[in-house]
Amino acid sequence: MRLAALVVLGVLTGLLAGLAAAETKSGTGDLGERAQPLLVQAEAIYEGLADADTTAAQAFLAGGLEPAALTDRYNEKIAKATTALTEAARLAPADSEASKAIHEIANGVARYTALVATARADNRQGLPVGSSYLSAASTLNRETLLPQAQSLFTIAQQQVQDGYRNAKSWWWVTFFALSLLALAGALLLTQRYLSRSTHRTFNVPLVAATVVTVLLALGSLGLLRSQQFHLADAEDAGSTPIAQLAEARILALQERGDEALTLALHGSSDEPEKRWVAADPQLSAALGNEFLPDGTGAAYAAYRQAHQQIRKLDAQDGNYDGAVALAVGTATTGKFEQVTDDIGTALEQRKVKFTEEIEAAGTGLTALLILGPLAALVICGLAYAGIRTRLEEYR
Amino acid sequence: MIKRAIAAVVLTVALTGCTPTTTSMPKAVPQPSSSTTKAAPADTSCNARASRKPAGALPQPGRMPAGSYMAEIQKKGRLVLGTSQDTLLFSARNPFTGKVEGFDVDMGRQIAEAIFGDPGKLQIKVIAYDKRVSSVQDGPDKGGVDIVADTMTANCDRWKQVDFSTIYYEAGQRVLVSKDSTATRIEDLGGKKVCAAEGSTSYTNIGAVKPKPIAVSRPSFGDCLVAFQQNEVDAVSTDDTILAGMAAQDPYAKVVGNKFTEEPYGMAISSQHPEFTQFVNAVLERNKADGTWTKTYEKWLGSFGKAPQPPVAQWR
Repeated sequence: MRLAALVVLGVLTGLLAGLAAAETKSGTGDLGERAQPLLVQAEAIYEGLADADTTAAQAFLAGGLEPAALTDRYNEKIAKATTALTEAARLAPADSEASKAIHEIANGVARYTALVATARADNRQGLPVGSSYLSAASTLNRETLLPQAQSLFTIAQQQVQDGYRNAKSWWWVTFFALSLLALAGALLLTQRYLSRSTHRTFNVPLVAATVVTVLLALGSLGLLRSQQFHLADAEDAGSTPIAQLAEARILALQERGDEALTLALHGSSDEPEKRWVAADPQLSAALGNEFLPDGTGAAYAAYRQAHQQIRKLDAQDGNYDGAVALAVGTATTGKFEQVTDDIGTALEQRKVKFTEEIEAAGTGLTALLILGPLAALVICGLAYAGIRTRLEEYR
Repeated sequence: MIKRAIAAVVLTVALTGCTPTTTSMPKAVPQPSSSTTKAAPADTSCNARASRKPAGALPQPGRMPAGSYMAEIQKKGRLVLGTSQDTLLFSARNPFTGKVEGFDVDMGRQIAEAIFGDPGKLQIKVIAYDKRVSSVQDGPDKGGVDIVADTMTANCDRWKQVDFSTIYYEAGQRVLVSKDSTATRIEDLGGKKVCAAEGSTSYTNIGAVKPKPIAVSRPSFGDCLVAFQQNEVDAVSTDDTILAGMAAQDPYAKVVGNKFTEEPYGMAISSQHPEFTQFVNAVLERNKADGTWTKTYEKWLGSFGKAPQPPVAQWR
């Protein structure tokens, strides 16, 4: 009876050790290999589209032939967004919410680039209808594509959150811990019974089994604790700041786009400027992020000052040309780009940190996956050996 | 709103060479009719062509009479003109320079010159077609403008809300279709989608055509051309002048049919400042008399043919 109970408990513990390790490992793997990369790609789509629109508006403002630097930047951003779309399509399960969003964006991007290409061709021939094409493209980007990209980003964020929950796999770990306790308890009770009913204080194989059980418990505890620490680090120093920085970059790009749009509309709408004013405090707060260098806030303050000067020139002084010159000038562009570059650098660092932590969280789990069931087998074997000797003595 | 029964057959002539930036594109031609051909307007409660008669001589530039609205503008240092940026020839953004220019913009520049002695003291504010009346009513202090010159038809409905200068251009509504279309006039487009800018008289006029086309509105006429080129609409119908600017940009488009309305263009001014309307009329009178009007016509619309006589001012 006791032997059967011990063996069952041992097998159960081994099974649960394997399951807990497999679950946490696959959860961690899914997080690192699917959910987080999807978030990164969603961010790239979002950023690529927002930047392309901002760049197109800037190029339009400059007048004349599109400056080569802006054309290159636009092409680069569209390439970034489309590459990320392909990657994201690979990561999103078929028929999922994410994959639907990706399909819609892909269709929209094709229409968007066609409209911009027509605008460029018209512009090249000196046809004013080019600006109407550009405004149709911009409307499509802002009113359809960006909200879709944003919802994809939100879906990806949700999946990362789910990923953390799965990676922690509380149920299996709890069952595993309970079975370990039961096994240890059963071993101790058996030994107490044996030491009372026979005249030997110690049963060597059972003592060894107990030691292995304790080692397994300590080892698993250590490994799972370390996984938790790395996961917590991946979240706090990885995916959370990645989401925050990504949102900050989008806000910044939209501000710059709204600034250009206000000028391009020649005062026919104050909506873009209202959006700018609304985004300003949000962005200022977001730039206080601990992972950004100290200079970013100052660079943004300088850009804000330039923006206010642009608005003053345009709206109060009626100096439209001066406002455009300041808006597309190297000084303002430089300050603005320092902000987005700083965010970009910080984002890359956070992505590296996340990957490191997720890899570290995953490594110990492989050991547990193999050693856990193995240790359980050893415990069963030892228990069998220990009790068998006693049984034979009574035969 | 002026609906006119077409009595005479107006010739449609194809011309080549329209804008300084495009050449050898066949295009339809607007036929500027003289203001003496009287229409039978739908709203006959007023004579929409008649404006306020100037009182006394035009003041010297930079010396606007104290207390007048012109003196206020002079103090602000610029005249705020409301117009569009996608009506080629009248007010369009030149893609090469990024500046908004055209016949309407020059009308504004001439007013600025009369006030400041400098045509450059003009702030161009692009406004949507359906904001032309409200922008004038609001005035520049509330985000509006001092004056609107934006292919705007003077009609009795609008006279109830704003003042108009005397007529500076006579246009009429026609229709633009694709080159392979069998339609020869707007009546052939019953059940088809026809685009016009929101808040324009053209949009209202499309609804009055029988058999009825489906009127589609877009924020501006540039957006109508985009919709036309993207096959979202079958035709665009508005003033011949605006259509000529579109046909100049699209070799696959043609303007067909006679003018089926009369659209006399006036500059809109707030009715709070009758002295400003009188001043603008005095500037127009002087420019029509000294050949400035004709020169402006030749500069922007010269490819349509010889400049006609400027519209004769009528007074209320």
